[in-house]
Amino acid sequence: MTADSAPLPIAAGVRARLAQVHPIVPWLLVLLALLPLPLVLPNAYTQYVVNVMAINVILAVGLNIVKGFAGQVTVGHIALMAIGAYASAVLSTKLGLPFWAAMPAAMLVAAAAGAMVGIPSLRLEGAYLALATLGLAESVRIFISGTEWLGAAIGFEGIPPPYLGPWALDSHYAYYYVAMPLALLGLYFSFSILRSDIGRAFKSIREDALAAAASGVNVPKYKVIAFVISALYAGCAGSLQAHMAPGFLHPNNYTITEMITLLLMVVFGGIGHIWGGVIGAILVTIIDDLTRDYYEYRMMMFGAVIVLVVIFMPRGLGGIIDDFLVRRRFNVLRGARQTPRTDVHAA
Amino acid sequence: MAIDMKRTFLGLAAAGALALGTGAPPAHAQDGVIRIGVTLRMVVENGLKYGQMAKEELEAVNAAGGINGKKIEVILLDDECKPDKGIANVNRFIHQNKVHLVMGSTCSSVSLPMVDVTAKEEVPQIVPHSTNTNVTKKGSAWVFRTSVSERFYAAVHAKYLAENAGKKVAYLYTNDGAAIGFANDYMAYMKRTYSAEPVYQAQMQETDLDFRAHLLKIKSVGADVLAIGGQLDAIARISQQALEVGIPSKVRRVAASAASNAPVPELAGDAVVGLIYAAAFNCKDERPVAQAFVKMVQEKYKVRCPDHDFSQAYETAQIVKQALTAAKLGLTDATLKADRLAIRDALANVKNFTGLASGPINFCADPTPQCRDGNRTGILVEYTKGGKDFDTKVLARVSFEPDFGL
Amino acid sequence: MLLEVRNLTKSFGGFVAVANVDLDIREGEVRGIIGPNGSGKSTLFNLISGVYKPDAGARVTFDGTDITGHESHAIARRGIARTFQMLRIFQGMSVIENMLVGHHAMIRYGTAAAVIGARKVWHEERRVRAEMLEMLAFIGLADYADMPAGELSGGQRRLLALGRAMAAKPKLLMLDEPGAGLSPTNVDVLMEAVRALQQRFGLTVIIIEHILKLVMETCGTVSVLEHGEKIAEGTPAQIKDDHRVIEAYLGKEMRDDQVRAYLRSA
Repeated sequence: MTADSAPLPIAAGVRARLAQVHPIVPWLLVLLALLPLPLVLPNAYTQYVVNVMAINVILAVGLNIVKGFAGQVTVGHIALMAIGAYASAVLSTKLGLPFWAAMPAAMLVAAAAGAMVGIPSLRLEGAYLALATLGLAESVRIFISGTEWLGAAIGFEGIPPPYLGPWALDSHYAYYYVAMPLALLGLYFSFSILRSDIGRAFKSIREDALAAAASGVNVPKYKVIAFVISALYAGCAGSLQAHMAPGFLHPNNYTITEMITLLLMVVFGGIGHIWGGVIGAILVTIIDDLTRDYYEYRMMMFGAVIVLVVIFMPRGLGGIIDDFLVRRRFNVLRGARQTPRTDVHAA
Repeated sequence: MAIDMKRTFLGLAAAGALALGTGAPPAHAQDGVIRIGVTLRMVVENGLKYGQMAKEELEAVNAAGGINGKKIEVILLDDECKPDKGIANVNRFIHQNKVHLVMGSTCSSVSLPMVDVTAKEEVPQIVPHSTNTNVTKKGSAWVFRTSVSERFYAAVHAKYLAENAGKKVAYLYTNDGAAIGFANDYMAYMKRTYSAEPVYQAQMQETDLDFRAHLLKIKSVGADVLAIGGQLDAIARISQQALEVGIPSKVRRVAASAASNAPVPELAGDAVVGLIYAAAFNCKDERPVAQAFVKMVQEKYKVRCPDHDFSQAYETAQIVKQALTAAKLGLTDATLKADRLAIRDALANVKNFTGLASGPINFCADPTPQCRDGNRTGILVEYTKGGKDFDTKVLARVSFEPDFGL
Repeated sequence: MLLEVRNLTKSFGGFVAVANVDLDIREGEVRGIIGPNGSGKSTLFNLISGVYKPDAGARVTFDGTDITGHESHAIARRGIARTFQMLRIFQGMSVIENMLVGHHAMIRYGTAAAVIGARKVWHEERRVRAEMLEMLAFIGLADYADMPAGELSGGQRRLLALGRAMAAKPKLLMLDEPGAGLSPTNVDVLMEAVRALQQRFGLTVIIIEHILKLVMETCGTVSVLEHGEKIAEGTPAQIKDDHRVIEAYLGKEMRDDQVRAYLRSA
């Protein structure tokens, strides 16, 4: 986490020149680099997996904001995705909105729900907050599965794909150019937020809410902001899921199992590590795909991964990367200055 | 900002490498092999056995030299009754494994979106278990169903019970697709045929454990029939609790087709005695073809009384083999599209297939339920004994016209 | 008066932690608050800084505004910064991020601008970062700016806690036992830093302290609490001779001359 603002030991001249570049520039370069990806993928199924990956990245990066950075234990995130998905589905099928209008609207609906999920966080902490958010999440799923006009337990069918003029983006290849840029945009926003005062306010709440308040951080306000921002991500991911071919939604896709998988992404990548959500989402999507060949042992394998990660790398892959970078920076520092300047030490 | 760039590119490189990694396994399709993708719900007790049996039955032809000299390769995946898993599986079958035919799935909520995918990609799909009426109603020319549609099941028990028990029906069902379909179809039939409204009606959660409050109310309204919709554990629980709250045995109890699954009598014990359900097959079926099948399942899969999910998985495999024998297949990359079409047409040509199903199975070319709901015969079964060594008897057998219930 | 406290009372259940305390702090003053353990010193800080809500009848006025019962963050924004006995630095954040959180109230851009990474955010961030680095240099932690705060030594943490409070550019700085756990030499270093900060920024400071020497040497006026009540107030010299203070601090068994000798040696 602290490594994000770390100076690398590179030539000062280069650094000075790079510092003149707007932070969005690297992301535009990444976008350019990722544009030809479909050309090198072996088949449309791989493309489909990559699209799912992009959706999971959005979801996990969003969860990382509220959980990793603001430190709020929520297990209701998957329900926010469901709300975004169903909102987008309803807006596009019943009101005839195009994807490009339905998605932002669905994000707003999810954000409103996110604010409501966030309200218990003002009074509850830790396991109690987890239980409260779990209750909210389950009631969303139960509401959907009992509501006829949402397709109930049969499923919501016939959600249209995004259109670009006359062209339907209903192939996996075309959909990549919707999902991937949105994932990158989400990542860019997440970096912007976490490097800013808002991100620091989130982290200070996670570290010590009392001290944060004493520093002038409006703790309840920022908790709700964190929930709302992460809900915007969940809404976006949900909408992308809804409009991806074949345009079908079902409450079974938003159960505890999915929530655990989502948590695994964040834990695996490293809670609170800015790349954690990305690494976790990509790896978990791959593990999820590969283990389907071993359906007899799939759940066991998933469980084993969780247990091993929690025991052997509690801070996830991101934590390992951080340790590496911090240690290196330490050594650079130590090399540059043999003795620390200050002479104040604890008694 | 320097760090942004460097790390961003590191991340990008990693992401790219991983993304490519997923696609890497030898997806290259081998020429001269018929590839079939099977996706079923295999998380429940017998689910794994349904899948294994389908795979083994299809691949059994390989030992005898294959079909017209061509080997069959089955790719079997579990969809856990989750639509997103089913969609992922069918995409993998079609694009990565380049299958000629898809078989699946168990849950209607999984089969429904799969139908959209196979229709768009023009790959034949044969549905072995799902009962939701819409599976064949979407107008896909690529879908076939060997299971009995809900539109038939509803009438099987509705007619029998209206004539033999009464028209005052209390409905208690969970919120899964099959259960809702069961209750709605029954209600619709009663209303249409006898103008009978439900005397009681409640929808519960799949995860609910206690149904007693509802059952007590049902007891007091004096229903003739208690209709139970749900997956197997819900059916077992409701049966047991109906006995506990003292609903008299003259109130006939009827359940959705999941009641045919062996865990129901095992879980509910003697509470299932008198419970009736519509099914496609019963292990007490005395026809030689049925008894040979039951014996095979007993020996090979260690299941004493195979339910209709066994028989339908088996039957679907046999129908597929018959159609494949009739189809002219090139089995190269270039002929993939033509081969899929040939298999579809061969399936549409299956007429009067007589096997485990209680009546003949017929398909035809039109993309309509009349043509694609192949199995139109249901039987009505009653439990006569519960527990591990449960017993059943067949009350009635009803065949329908192709356009019944549409 | 910069801070006026009237009739401040707080009871937890039946236990009265602070009882009817009045306090007047002049602008630019360095005030010491002493008292034995459990005399209500920290509670007093928590009441002024908004961690606890005072009982009815109290009135706290800061810089001409009534802040009684306001939220902690709102009080901080008015210009009251504080440190904690247990420091409560943000251990998982870097040293400079700790400072920047302290500076939170002074940062001028909104959430939306932060999300889209607007240019003004970028400029503002650079400006405040430079400013905070300067401040870190003042307390001697500039070299550690990017180090996780959790990896600092105990003394460095204490300095950082002080720095974080200073980063808010407060009018009033409240230090809760700043010298706890420090060796005598380090107490001197710390007090030097406090004095330097006070002179440079024209601060008003309230110090709660156990180490009498620290208070006696640094503060112009000292208030004494016992059982939640203010029992004495005056210059260090007056306090040293106050009979009640001596009783409160050391028990009645000691003779006055013994106590005086102890206080002088402290």
